[in-house]
Amino acid sequence: MNEHPPSRHPAWKIWSNPVFRRYCRSRLRPQGLGVSLLVTVLIAGFIVAMVRAVGLQNQMDPSDAARSVIIPLLFLQGIILFVLGTAQAAGGMTAERDEGVIDYQRLIPMSPLSKVLGYLFGLPVREYVMFLTTLPFTGWALWTGGVAWQVWLPLYAVVFTSALTYHFTGLLTGTVAKNRRWAFLASIGLVFCLYTAVPQMAKFGLVFFKYLTVTPVVEESLPGLLSKTVGAAVESIQKLAPTVKFFGLDFSETVFTVFSQGGLILTFVVMLCRKWRRAESHLLGKTWATGFFIWIQTLLLGNALPLIDTGSLFPSRGFTRMVRMMNQRPPDPMEAVAMSGIYGLITLALIFILVAIVTPSTDSQLRGWRRARKQGDTSLSFFSDAATGFWAAIVMALAGAGGWFLFTRGLVESRWFPGHEVPIGVFGLFAAVLLSAGVGYQALLEAKGGRHVTLTAIFVGVVPVMIGAVMAVSENLAPIAVWLIGMSPLSLPVYASSSLLSLAELPEGLSRAMPRAFQFWLFVAILTCCWLVKNLWVARRAMARKVLDAPAAEP
Amino acid sequence: MTSIERMNAASFAANGSQPPAIDIRDLRVDYGNFVAVDDLTLSVPPGEVFGLVGPNGAGKTSTFRVLTTLMEPTYGEVILDGVDVLEDIESARRIIGYMPDLAPVPSDLKVWEFLDFHAAAYGLGTKAQRRERAAECLEEVALTDQRDKWCKELSRGQTQRVVLAKTLLHRPRVLILDEPASGLDPLARRDLRNALRRLAKTGATVFVSSHILSELAEMCTSLCVMNRGRLLASGTVDEVRQQMGSTERTLTATLLGRQEAAASWLSAQHAVHDLRIDLNQVIFGFKGTDEAQADLMEGMIRLGIRVRAFEEKRSSFEDILVEVAESNRRP
Repeated sequence: MNEHPPSRHPAWKIWSNPVFRRYCRSRLRPQGLGVSLLVTVLIAGFIVAMVRAVGLQNQMDPSDAARSVIIPLLFLQGIILFVLGTAQAAGGMTAERDEGVIDYQRLIPMSPLSKVLGYLFGLPVREYVMFLTTLPFTGWALWTGGVAWQVWLPLYAVVFTSALTYHFTGLLTGTVAKNRRWAFLASIGLVFCLYTAVPQMAKFGLVFFKYLTVTPVVEESLPGLLSKTVGAAVESIQKLAPTVKFFGLDFSETVFTVFSQGGLILTFVVMLCRKWRRAESHLLGKTWATGFFIWIQTLLLGNALPLIDTGSLFPSRGFTRMVRMMNQRPPDPMEAVAMSGIYGLITLALIFILVAIVTPSTDSQLRGWRRARKQGDTSLSFFSDAATGFWAAIVMALAGAGGWFLFTRGLVESRWFPGHEVPIGVFGLFAAVLLSAGVGYQALLEAKGGRHVTLTAIFVGVVPVMIGAVMAVSENLAPIAVWLIGMSPLSLPVYASSSLLSLAELPEGLSRAMPRAFQFWLFVAILTCCWLVKNLWVARRAMARKVLDAPAAEP
Repeated sequence: MTSIERMNAASFAANGSQPPAIDIRDLRVDYGNFVAVDDLTLSVPPGEVFGLVGPNGAGKTSTFRVLTTLMEPTYGEVILDGVDVLEDIESARRIIGYMPDLAPVPSDLKVWEFLDFHAAAYGLGTKAQRRERAAECLEEVALTDQRDKWCKELSRGQTQRVVLAKTLLHRPRVLILDEPASGLDPLARRDLRNALRRLAKTGATVFVSSHILSELAEMCTSLCVMNRGRLLASGTVDEVRQQMGSTERTLTATLLGRQEAAASWLSAQHAVHDLRIDLNQVIFGFKGTDEAQADLMEGMIRLGIRVRAFEEKRSSFEDILVEVAESNRRP
């Protein structure tokens, strides 16, 4: 009956990918494309003419004037690819679902990867064409400015990988978000976050996060892109900064950025392929989520530890280096305490995100048990989506505690703080913090569902911090505020670092309150976690018994 | 397996040794504690136009979504034309043609572009071959003149037909149509019916649901009735009516005199109810077997009542399903 050969659309043959071609057709219609190109060319032309004219007016030579055009053009290209392209990827994906045609695409006999790549390059195809129309202007500036290919090629390679990272973010948001407006807002929010908020973590020792943006490579390329005098100044400052260090290895900014973004892209691909294969699947399996967490921990440590002895990991040292006051002032001990606390907090936040991804809903658990019963099993497959996410939470918490401990020990036992050390017992307390918060959260989510977690997050996680912050304004109430804020699991990592490290130099009132508050709330958190875990096991056992012991007709 | 499912299996076995085109075993779909499809077992031989009937919430769409690989069931086995739908999704997708209820179309494509995209996705040869096949399918649904129109400009009925054309493109061996006749005018319905029959003759199996039951009865070679996720009946329209235990009918005896005597005798029979006399006719409700009905006629003749005509009006298929739907509302 089906006389046609089986359709095969290899993922790498993007130009013949039907999904890509479908969007080329709909998004590159002359009418819509024409207006977009006209606007792009006008803006790019205006930038080139204006910046060059101002440069020449300021006595720049023609080649320097041409170079000064490159950064503004890069900004325009960033807006086109990163902002418009990402919004299109997210909005287009949601539009498919809104219209209901996504089911047709699910049924197409193409591999999930082919579909993902078709959407990835197809949805923002107009933005790619708009970007291409700016390239002649950039090409002119590079040529006239005499910029070496060793400068611009790595830069544009990273612009491309960054665009892919952001478009994947948009695609994922569009796949998960419920409606078009939310998808658009969430994708813009995520890109903003990835581009501005997340890289700020680099200032507190989590250097890896800055490699998720194009910024490090732009900074590395700046001497070659700016006018010769400014470029030389920037280059001389940059010579003070080390190249990217990863444990004992040295990398260029470009290679490491591509490597970091590559890991994130790979994870996004896995998430999207899982969703295309089965719409009900979790975004990540338990193994992949745990592996991803460990990979992030490795990158955080690999980037941070080699920079401790040089001092460039410390925010204050980074600043003094820039003003050529190197080696004049050691880092502040409280800097190290804050950096350790932030590391713990970010680790806990990552655990929360990944645990939310791998924790099965009640519906999914029920289905899993019924399936197991039908197959004559008395337990769920360990790695299936329906199985508990409890073990993944424990492994992540322990791995996170390990990373946090190594980072803290690296800071405290560095040459900057002689005489201080971090005993191995601190690892146990760090583990207790992450286990009680992370596993407790997982147990609550699995046993009671998202609504309970949201309410708990508001009333236990956020409200005490808000009230405590208001109270802390008054110096007299600061110790009470410390006790109140300590109720929030989010404050535990910061309290742990502040209470356990010999470096901590808290004001007198706080130096008594904080360790006691930490011990008390950690004890409460551990008890609560044990109670939640017990509830989870009781609930799971009850569910399993209900399904497995039910009469044959009504499992 | 319920008795109805055993009958379905037995009827399939009687149809020959060919493996079934659609073979569903112990299919269950849950949404939390709600059981949408409850251990459904069903076989459909190749070349059938098989109807699925049931009130809202019967589990029709959930069954279709599992069959089309769009949803993973709680458990069960679904084999389409020898391909295990849950194990080999990609192969299953090649042989399935699915038209969902209220079939949507993309707003940013023209009719021919929509068809060409799907033809390319199913790997239907060169550009010229794809266009030729798209033209054939458009002709099949009588929409050749609309090929250059934007999909969003089509009427509801035209949209249904375009999606049907898309569904036919890759010559699927199993066609799954959820309410395909909704929105179609009578002429288009007739064309749809004919197209499905033509398709079935080529060996394809059509699994179709509809709320227009008379349409379905005309369209299908056999059908099944689902309610609350369970199979209630399966077979030809008459077999289904019988399986559902509907022996209720209205009988009209046209007499040559002695209407009162006939009415008096009839009202003494236990299967007779709601009796009334209208001129020379005695009209009454009867609930019983065909044999009991024949006995009734014979009894009247033995009484010496001269019966000029005896008519029966059985409850319609719609009536049966209304009864099923109403039984759902009862506590």
